[in-house]
Amino acid sequence: MVQITINGKQIEAPEGTTVLRAAQMAGIHIPTLCDHKELVPYGGCRLCIVDVEKWRVPMASCTLPVSNGMVVNTETEAIKKSREFILSMLFSERNHFCPFCQVSGGDCELQNAAYHEEMTYWPIQPGWNKFAVDTTHPYFILDNNRCILCRRCVRACGELVGNFTLAAAERGAASMIVADTDVPLGESTCIKCGTCVQVCPTGALIDRTSAYQGPNAEFTEIKSVCAGCSVGCATKLIIRNNRIVRIEGDWDGAINHGLLCEHGRYDPMNESRTRITTPQMRKNGKLEPVSWEEALGAVADKLRPLAGGKNGVAAIASTRLPVETLAMFKELFVGNFKSELVTSTEEGMPTAAVTSFAEKNGAFEGKLDVLRTADTVLCIGANINRNHMVAGFMFKRNLPKGTRLINIDPEISELDYLANSTLKNKRGSDMALIKGLQAIIVKEGLGRSPLDIPDADGLIKKAIGATGVSREELTQAAQTLARSISPVILFGKGITAQRDEKLVEELYRLAVLVGAVDSERNGLLSIKGEANSLAATLLGLDEAFNLNGQQAVYVAIGDDYASKSLVERVSKAPYLAVQASYESSLTEKADVVLPVTIWSEQDGHYLNLDGHMQSTQKAITAPENVRDNMAVLSEVAMRMNMTMKSDWKTSVLERKSSVALN
Amino acid sequence: MTKPKIASDWMCGCAGCHMSLLDMDERILKVLELVDLRATPITDLKEPDESGVDVGILEGGINNTASEEVAHKMRKRAKILVALGDCAVFGGVPAMRNFCGVEAALKQAYVDADSNEPGSQIPNDPELATMTKTRALHEVVPVDYNVPGCPPDADVIFYVLAELAQGRKPELKNELLHWH
Ligand code: SF4
Ligand code: SF4
Ligand code: SF4
Ligand code: SF4
Ligand code: FES
Repeated sequence: MVQITINGKQIEAPEGTTVLRAAQMAGIHIPTLCDHKELVPYGGCRLCIVDVEKWRVPMASCTLPVSNGMVVNTETEAIKKSREFILSMLFSERNHFCPFCQVSGGDCELQNAAYHEEMTYWPIQPGWNKFAVDTTHPYFILDNNRCILCRRCVRACGELVGNFTLAAAERGAASMIVADTDVPLGESTCIKCGTCVQVCPTGALIDRTSAYQGPNAEFTEIKSVCAGCSVGCATKLIIRNNRIVRIEGDWDGAINHGLLCEHGRYDPMNESRTRITTPQMRKNGKLEPVSWEEALGAVADKLRPLAGGKNGVAAIASTRLPVETLAMFKELFVGNFKSELVTSTEEGMPTAAVTSFAEKNGAFEGKLDVLRTADTVLCIGANINRNHMVAGFMFKRNLPKGTRLINIDPEISELDYLANSTLKNKRGSDMALIKGLQAIIVKEGLGRSPLDIPDADGLIKKAIGATGVSREELTQAAQTLARSISPVILFGKGITAQRDEKLVEELYRLAVLVGAVDSERNGLLSIKGEANSLAATLLGLDEAFNLNGQQAVYVAIGDDYASKSLVERVSKAPYLAVQASYESSLTEKADVVLPVTIWSEQDGHYLNLDGHMQSTQKAITAPENVRDNMAVLSEVAMRMNMTMKSDWKTSVLERKSSVALN
Repeated sequence: MTKPKIASDWMCGCAGCHMSLLDMDERILKVLELVDLRATPITDLKEPDESGVDVGILEGGINNTASEEVAHKMRKRAKILVALGDCAVFGGVPAMRNFCGVEAALKQAYVDADSNEPGSQIPNDPELATMTKTRALHEVVPVDYNVPGCPPDADVIFYVLAELAQGRKPELKNELLHWH
């Protein structure tokens, strides 16, 4: 601890802290602009200057480490004057028209800083130079007229997202925020995560959906969790009049620390499917609106005689549904109906092999956080640049700092361009490849723990033959992995969809061999799939959905998309009941359609890929005649005289999880 | 004690700031009790007294030779000069024409815009004032108090007038300070 005095107040601050952070911890406000708590201190705007006794010039407090006995003053006349001058320079550099600016009136950090100095005018008028407005991005607008060059966007895009799209071109007053080599944002390498918009302190980056909808003070904010994938990023829903105007990443989120990807931030804002707002039943070949009574009655009448019978009812639920809904679904169809085919829409592709390995061996996977400190990431069968992107951000940001990426995927993927080694093995050759890697490591004596491999040369030869990858490439990947200090092996659907527990086992052996898994850390992760992939497999809803003469099919698709293959399979069933939020080729085929809530309209829990159980609350009131997913299931149960009694929290613990739950 | 004399005028603004002044409702009577309201654009007397006023208030920026004159006259005749509203304080929306220059702005307004009759021309009556770059009031004459806002709301104007009328210095901060 270090003793310092700020504005006469004695403060104890941890060594290495900056003066700014020390002041903030002590509740002393120092105006800032380029500082952001999630970004590396930059010292660019100079607004945070303070007076340090016995020092010759004012110092930027955001980059100034505390030292013992330091006497700091933040509100001297000279400092206040300097702050006003700094702000005057900023206002004169670009063009600020507060009366019609989206962020004016509370949401602009620049304006707020000027108010803090009680500035009633600009001592230096602007030069009336025109600056470009880039409107090419589908989700946001960059208005350089309002940019203060704080570079928070640039730093966030690099330091946090690891995408490095944004940069500042030129120098001094000619500096300009640009994408890539100064191409329009809409044509750039931007992956549309929106982090830059979330960190911009001014109206220079504004998003299309919430701009000019009112100041933040007029919105309500509800914490939620993204249902976009199994990463489970924490969000804040920004709501006005029962409508989400914007989704932000929650900086307090334990998993994502404020970050979101396009699917989390923008997909829900650009929903284009047609909502189903009334129950429907097929009459004379056509779907007609009916009452809930009629629709539920019809479903119950149809299903009642089929309960318990062989070839009775098959049921399938979306892994985007909350855990409690999935648990109830299971209880209804497995427990009560005794149906033989009850599963989830992912059919265990991302999880079944993982869970069956875990059932024999216990939890074997690590936590997502391990990616942040990985010095090598081996990505196998996981296109982390397209899905589960926020997990990708966790290491992509470190690639320029030397973290190595090995990408193994028969498909072309964006990750190939980032990877140090890219192994394009032939489809179906993963087992040979993994064993080949093990063999090379053992043969070269690079293993961190013993692994008995009798015929290493044979395995290597076999790997080269089966994969079509050259010996050099294979060796290089093996060496990179084995020589790293904190490697992580990340595997995805490319592996798990093969439904081969042995593949998981070999990956585990590889992880132990290279020290990705040891007694201290666990760097083996399966990326899974949708929001509740893990919960679905733990509930046993992970079988393949192979219809086999069932008389009726019940699909709880919720707000998810039904795959073409699912629609094909269920359209052959004699009777199809669907609970769905949106019209689709699936609901078109249904005999009964029950309109249900979407993710934002229901309470629920989500169990993310590394075992975090997170809850969401209803944020939006559903349309009049739409019912909660759970409520619909219990209505069906009630009409069948079935009692639902199990507790979802225990149901989800029935199988062994591949990752420790918390 | 004699009541302080107050005069106001508008230049390159939209009259919104004066509307906001009227928006004070019955409080305007209180202001009138405190001050002697002289020339304003919305009363009969149009020019500040030659003998001088205590407080002069100007709305709008300076965009031509006529508004320059208004500004100079008010500055000369008023002990305290107040810039009222964003246009007077910063230049405001009319200053956006500085991006293209006077010529292009006139051509767009009088010739190119679709709403013009074919063959329309830029007015060139020699009686007309000459257009200039649009400037904030403080760029042309020294200003004692800047009262930003687009428009400043009635509360702000009431506060400023009441303080000045009672010989105090208005201090704009917290809720009273806004630029929009
Ligand atoms: S970015 Fe801030 S200072 Fe600039 S115009 Fe908008 S509100 Fe005003
Ligand atoms: S949206 Fe994301 S990827 Fe695109 S520029 Fe902004 S921070 Fe970078
Ligand atoms: S766009 Fe926003 S975040 Fe980026 S430099 Fe400009 S003001 Fe800062
Ligand atoms: S990574 Fe997944 S959970 Fe996170 S924002 Fe993207 S879709 Fe949502
Ligand atoms: S906040 Fe310290 S220099 Fe910008």
